[in-house]
This record gives sequence, C-alpha cells and structure tokens, in this order.
Amino acid sequence: MSGEGTSERSGRRSAAEPSAEQARSRARPGDTSGEGTSERSGRRSAAEPSAEQARSRARPEDTSIAERRPATTRQRGRARNVVLTVVLGVGAFTMIVPFLWMVLTSVKSPEDLATFPPSFWPDEWVWSNYTDALDAAPFGTYFRNSLIIATGHTSITLVFAAMAGYALARIPFRGREFVFMGFVAMLMIPTYTKIVPQFLIVKFMPLFGGNDILGQGGSGWLNTWWALLIPGGLSPFAIFLFRQFYLSLPRELEEAARIDGLGELRIWAQVYTPLIKPAIATVALLTFQDSWNNFLWPLLVTTRDDLRVIQVGLAVFQQQESTAWAYLMAGTTLATVPMVLLFLVAQRYFIQGFANAGIK
Amino acid sequence: MSMTTKSLETTAGDVRDRARRPARGRRSSGRKLRRAGWLMVMPAVAHTIVWIAIPVVATFVLSFTDYEVFSAPSFIGLDNYVELWNDDIFRKATWNTVVYTFFTVPFSMAVAVVVAVFLNQKIRFRAAFRATFFLPQVTATVAIAMVWLWMYNPQYGLINAVLSFFGLPSQAWLDDPDLALWSVILVGIWQGIGMKMLIYLAALQNIDPNLYEAASLDGASSVRQFFSITLPMLKPATFFVFVVSIIGAFQVFDQVYVLTDGGPANATTMMTYEVYRAAFQDFRMGLACAQSVVLFAFLLVLTVINRRLTGGDDQ
Repeated sequence: MSGEGTSERSGRRSAAEPSAEQARSRARPGDTSGEGTSERSGRRSAAEPSAEQARSRARPEDTSIAERRPATTRQRGRARNVVLTVVLGVGAFTMIVPFLWMVLTSVKSPEDLATFPPSFWPDEWVWSNYTDALDAAPFGTYFRNSLIIATGHTSITLVFAAMAGYALARIPFRGREFVFMGFVAMLMIPTYTKIVPQFLIVKFMPLFGGNDILGQGGSGWLNTWWALLIPGGLSPFAIFLFRQFYLSLPRELEEAARIDGLGELRIWAQVYTPLIKPAIATVALLTFQDSWNNFLWPLLVTTRDDLRVIQVGLAVFQQQESTAWAYLMAGTTLATVPMVLLFLVAQRYFIQGFANAGIK
Repeated sequence: MSMTTKSLETTAGDVRDRARRPARGRRSSGRKLRRAGWLMVMPAVAHTIVWIAIPVVATFVLSFTDYEVFSAPSFIGLDNYVELWNDDIFRKATWNTVVYTFFTVPFSMAVAVVVAVFLNQKIRFRAAFRATFFLPQVTATVAIAMVWLWMYNPQYGLINAVLSFFGLPSQAWLDDPDLALWSVILVGIWQGIGMKMLIYLAALQNIDPNLYEAASLDGASSVRQFFSITLPMLKPATFFVFVVSIIGAFQVFDQVYVLTDGGPANATTMMTYEVYRAAFQDFRMGLACAQSVVLFAFLLVLTVINRRLTGGDDQ
C-alpha cells in the first residue's frame, strides 16, 4: 500500500505541476531535502539504468527460459503462493481472534459466560448488553469526551503544526535551522522523561483552578478541559512531518505568490496547503488515533467522572466491576470500533503515514 | 544640448531610482518574510518549550531533590539515585523492563520481517492481510489489554479453553508469578507486529527488483536470497524499527496497568510503573524524576549501541 501511496502522492504532485511548469525540474531537487523521499528517489533513479540494462540483458534469454521452464515453475510458484497464503491466513486469524472474541463476549448472556469451556458463538445474542452497559457506567459520556479531545488535538495540530512546518520548510528566517534541530531533538524525548514536570505545570498553572499568580493554593488545570486539550495538542512529530511535506513542493509557487503580494499566511493556507491534502489526512488520522488511544495523561489529570475519556473509563470500570465481562467487552467494543472503522475507511492514509514515519 | 543633458540626467536618475527602489522593496519584504516566519513558527515553539523542553530540564533538576508537591523541593544531591540503587523493587522493575523489551522487540521484529516478505509477493487478499496484521496497532492498548485480560481469565478464558481442548491443564496466566511477565510479553509481541511489518514493507518496496532477478539467474534459492539480499538491504529499516520499538517497549505501561497492576508480587512491574507509583500514588516527585532519568539513560545507551552495531547508516 505504501508503494501505491507514494505513487499516488507523486501523481498528485504531477497534477499540481502544470500550474508551475518549470517547477517540474525543480520539484525533484526539492524532494532531496525531504530526507525520506530523497532516499527513495535516489534509489529509484539509481535503479533506472540498471533496469534498462537488465531488460536488454533479459531479452535474449527470455525466450530460452520461457521454453525451458514452462509449467513446472509456474506450478511451483502457485504452490508456493498457496503455502504463503495459508501461513498468512493462520497469522491473520491470530490477529483477528481477540477482536472477534471481544464482540462475541459483548453479546453473551451471563449463563453463557459462566460455562467452561466457553462456546465460540453465543447461545443467544444479547444485544441489550450494550444498553445495559451504558446504564452501568457513563460510557456515552466517556465516548463523547474522547471524541471532543481527539477532534480538538487534531484541529490544533492541523493549524499550528502545519503553520510551523510551512515556515520551517519555505520561509528563510534567521535561526530556522536551530529551531528545526530543536524540534528534532524534542521529537526524541520519551514520554516518561517529561511526564512528572508536565503534571506539575498543569497543577501549578497560575490563575487557574483557584491558583494565585504563583500557581499556589488551588488545583490549576487538574480536572479541566485545558489539561486534556492543550499539553497534548501539538507534537514535534507532526511538525516534522508537515515540514517534510511542504519541502516536497516546488518553489516557483511561493515566488509567484510573493510577487503577487500575497502574505505568508495566505500562501500557506491557499497556495501550498491545498497541494498536500493527502499529507494532511495522514497527519490528521495519526493525531486523532494517538489522542483517542491515549491513556496515561488523561488518567493523571482527571479524576472527575464527567471528564473521563473512554480508555480511562474502561480501566476504572474494570477495577470496580471486575466480573461484568459482557458489559466490559461492550465498552471495549465502543472504545475500539471508531478506530477500526476509521482505519478501514482511510487505510491508505494510515499506512502512508506510518511508512513515511518509518523511512524518515 | 541642455535638453539632452537634462533628459540624460533624468533617465540616469530614473535608472538609479528604479535600481534602488526594488532593492529597498526586496530588503523590506525580506524583513517582512523573516518576521512572518517567526510568527508562524512561534506558537509551536512556545508550546514545545513549555510542554517538552522545560519539563525535560525539570526532570533532571528535580531528580536531585526531595519534592513531595505540598512543600518546596529541597536539594538532596544523589540521594534519590542511591535510594534507587538499593531499592529491590526498582531493580526488579528494571530487570522486568529489560526482559520485556528483549523478548517483545526481536520476536515481533522477526515475525514482522517474515510477514512483510510474504506480503511483498503477489498473493491473494494481500490488502486484507496487511490490514488485519495492522489492526492491533490502530486500536488502543487499554482496549486490547482488556480483551487479553478476559482471554487470560483463569476460569472462563479462551486461552485455557484452547488448552483444555488439547488436553492441557489450565494456567493462572496473570496470577502466577512465573507466568505473568510472559503473558504480558505475549500481548506486547502480538500488538507490536503491525507497525514493524508496515515499515519493513515500505522498505522492501525500495529494494531494486533486479537484485533478485540477478540472484535467481545465478541460481540462488529464495531462502538464500532472503539472507543475502533482503536482510542486508533492510538494515537501515531494521535500525529504525529497532530504535523506535525499544523506545516504545521501555515505556510499556498501559497493558501492565490493565493486566496485572505490576503484580503478582511485583513480577510484572516496570520502570514506568514505578515512576507512576512514586509520582502519582506516593507523591514523591523527586524520586520519580530520578527513575525517569534512569529510564532515559537506558534508552540513550541502547540507541548509541545500536547505532554502532549497525554502522549508523540510518539515513
């Protein structure tokens, strides 16, 4: 898929090119600055001459080989593919079983759950488990909170990370390299090397939650939407990705736009950003997913039930009702389904994003 | 004559003017551009300074203090580190983290490479397989751990049911101190395959197919090709996957929180779990920061070692 993804991206890029025809020649050097793409295009171009050689080399042999290995190799190839498919099928089944088991458990009756060995399919499908689970714990509220926070994080990222990425990629300002290196350094900081002071900053946030100007006396941002929305709103990783995406675009556009007297904000928002829509989708999905799945931070900064996100709500429910497996699996299904659906619908962007993140 | 000189002068002046004006314009627009650049990067810089840079520095500073939130921190030198050195539970947590990392990361990497190589062939249901292997990666660790908690259930769990089907005795997966860590590791391996597979798959698609063509013309078997072409060509990807996975695995928390709470008898407690306990249950922030610094040091050393081993050609 990532192969398709990149080809698609270059397809979009070439669609953008007619607007700046000379840009085509420059677009590739532009690529070089994006480290990942440089490697890829470098390899591709390195591969091209050898591909031609190989083709010319292969041509005389083609006929002879085709004559020499007719049915047997093809059969062996097919047999091999069957073996591969079976092995992958077993692996994929292992991957999918826990999800199946989750959904099946969520619709089983209490008697059904208390039998050993359990039957795979429910004796009767108790869909009312879902409404009962919603009565047993405010999963609806948890779900809504997660949705608000994930949407909030995504919006903040799409505006501010994209803006910063654009500036780092396209505006030559003094200290730009330094700022960029700073972001890259911050990218490598593990969560646990910052979590304790982050919590303290939230707790001592001045003038919030009864705190005085020095941050003393109250609870600051603890148990507020601020704590849930702001600290996790931007990640250096998103900024980094956006910079790479903006770097891959031709420079002529910005020059033309600047000569036309457009301000940088408008060049960013109206000229460049529409050209990286797939990239935006990728970053948006990764951010949404990260936010939806986050557990530790909301666990630390919220204790109020009406501010809990679904992952924390699940963990709390499990601690309180450790044997209500049907309800627990119903809640888990609620926590899982949005991401699974989003993934299935927008698989291409997810995979492209992870592949990009991987090659860097 | 005067007319001509005058016209000459004016034209000369015009030329000079024209030459000067754009220059001035360019200079001021350059300044405007620089300002725009700073303005656009500023929110992100401010956010990163407040929520990452300051916290990182603070973690190091606070690790030398005794700080229990309700009173001001007091400097105690290396006492926190000395305490950690002598703390059996933290030592156990460090050991568990190392064991967890060195079993989950290589195992899921090995599976991921094989799956990626298989998926790189022209086989049926390729996209469906890829999506299935990736599915655990997009779903929340807490949710996944919840499902495994139910599957590990000693009385009614699916895993014991499968064992009994084959006539094997039931196990108390998460309650048996000898088994608990391995049960957590299994979940880690299961969940970690997708991401690694995807990175490998992307890297595989960058390998020049002519290498394989040439190798098969020379009569190399596909196993031989895997070891002589695929693995060496995947070296940069392997370095990247390894570093990212180690950093991830060292920070395992969610599944421990859900599955075992660090138990039984600290059999599955991790460094992160001790940070959580120290900071947010005992409110010993200084000690928790010292633990975070130790965790950070481990990650740094492992990254450097790996860079040496792979020749550091990650770019």
